Amino acid sequence: MIPVSIITGFLGSGKTTLLARLMRDPAMSRTAVIINEFGAIALDHDLIETSDESFVQLSNGCLCCNVRSDLTLTLGDLAARRAQGTVPPFERVVIETSGLADPAPILHALMTDRDLIDIYALDGVITTVDALMGIATLENHEESQRQVAVADRIVITKTDIAEAQTDAIKQRLAAINPGAPVIAAVRGAIAPSVLFDCGFYDVASKHPDVGAWLAHESVDAAGEHAHPSHQHSATITSFCIVREEPLCAATLPLLLSALAENCGVDLLRMKGIVRVREAPERPAVIHGVQHVYHAPVWLPRWPSADRRTRMVFIGRGIRESWVRTLIELLDAEVAAETARRTLVTEPWLRGKVDSMT
Amino acid sequence: MNELLPGMRDEGGQLRAFLADSLAQWQVAGTVQAGEAPVMAEIRATSGAIVWVERAGHDTPFRWFARWRSAGDAPGGVRELRPCACASLVGLLGAVRDALGVERGSAVRIVPAPEQT
Repeated sequence: MIPVSIITGFLGSGKTTLLARLMRDPAMSRTAVIINEFGAIALDHDLIETSDESFVQLSNGCLCCNVRSDLTLTLGDLAARRAQGTVPPFERVVIETSGLADPAPILHALMTDRDLIDIYALDGVITTVDALMGIATLENHEESQRQVAVADRIVITKTDIAEAQTDAIKQRLAAINPGAPVIAAVRGAIAPSVLFDCGFYDVASKHPDVGAWLAHESVDAAGEHAHPSHQHSATITSFCIVREEPLCAATLPLLLSALAENCGVDLLRMKGIVRVREAPERPAVIHGVQHVYHAPVWLPRWPSADRRTRMVFIGRGIRESWVRTLIELLDAEVAAETARRTLVTEPWLRGKVDSMT
Repeated sequence: MNELLPGMRDEGGQLRAFLADSLAQWQVAGTVQAGEAPVMAEIRATSGAIVWVERAGHDTPFRWFARWRSAGDAPGGVRELRPCACASLVGLLGAVRDALGVERGSAVRIVPAPEQT
C-alpha cells in the first residue's frame, strides 16, 4: 500500500512553502506530488523541485469539487505508470489541495473509492495555519475550520512574524481539533518524520463534525441525492494576469502597496512570478495575503521555458480590469520617471525627449 | 516616444477610465469626466464629493495633484484650494480615497520571504 498524505490549509497559509522545503529532504526523494490550484494558471509547479514524471498538476478547478473524476483518475494513472516503470517507483504520494478546498470529499474518495483502496492508504492530513491571519481566517471561512478539523498534524506557519498571536491561535486550534499535534514551522522548516507516517486515518479521533462530513460524502457518492452544491463562496473569484513585457523593479513595491491599500482583506491571496526589466534572467516570486507580503524572492533562473510574468489573484470583489490597468499605469509611471531621471545624468537626451512630449 | 516614455499615449483617457474602475472597486457611485485644463479628471460622487486631479509639472518631484471638496463641505475649503501633491499613482489613489471617505485596506507589510525554493 502506498501512503497518501494531504497537505491542506487556507489560501496563503504556507502549504507550498512547506511542501517545497519538504521535497528538498532526501527522505522525500521517492515521493509523487499532486498539486491542485484554484487559479486558472498554476504556479506552484515552478516553485517546487521534483521530477516532472512524478509530478501532477491539477489546475481545472478545485480538487474537492472534481474529486471523483480528477483525483481518482490521477491516482489510478500514477499507479499504472508506476507498475509499467514509466515513472520513478515512488513510495509515497503527497497531495497539496487548493486553499479553498473542503478536504472531506478528498478524504472520502481516498478511504472508500474501490479503485484506490487496494493501492493507496490515507496516511494523514497536514493542515497549515497562518499565525498572522489564522484566527480571522477561521472566523470568516468555513473551509478553514474544516481543514483544521480533519488534520492529523497542524503546522502553524509564520510564527517568526506573528509570535504574539501564536498562543491565541493554538487555543483556537485546540478547540476545533484537540487531538492533532500542533507544530510551529518557520519558513517550512520541519522534518518529514514529524509530519508523515501518521498511521491509518482515524475519523473517531477527530472533531465530531468530521464523521458527519464524511458520511455526507458517502451518501452523495451512492447517488442517493444530489450533491449538496458544495460551493466556494460565490463572491470569491480568481483571475490571472499574464504579461509578455517585463515590469520595472520599482513597480513591484508600488503594486503591492496599491493592492494592500485598495483591496485590503478582500484580497485573499496573490502570488506571482515576475519578469523584471532590470534582471530578465532572474524572475522574482511574490506572495501575499491581504496586506501582508513576503519580500520578493529572486530565483537564480527561470524554472521553465515560460518566461512571462504570471500573477494569480484570489479575492472577493477584486476587479480584474482594475488590477490589470493598475499594473500598466504603475509600470508606465515608473518607466517615465526613470526616463526623466536619465535626462538629469544624460542631458544630451533632453532635446530629443522634449520634442517627443 | 514610447521607448523612453512608455504608456504616455492618451494618459488622460486612461487615467479617467482607471479612476472610474477604482470607484467601482471601492463600491462608490459616481462619475469621472475630463475637466477644464489643467484638470485631467474630475470625479463626482453621488454623495456630493468632488475631486479634481491634475498632472504635476515635469520640473516637480510630484506626478499628480489632487484637490477636493468632501461631501457636505462648502466651496473654497482648504483642500479645494491647496492641492495634495502625490508622488505616484499609489498616492493619488490614497488622496482620492480620503476625499471620498473610502476606508479600505491597510498599509502594506513586507515580511521575510520563505527560503528560496
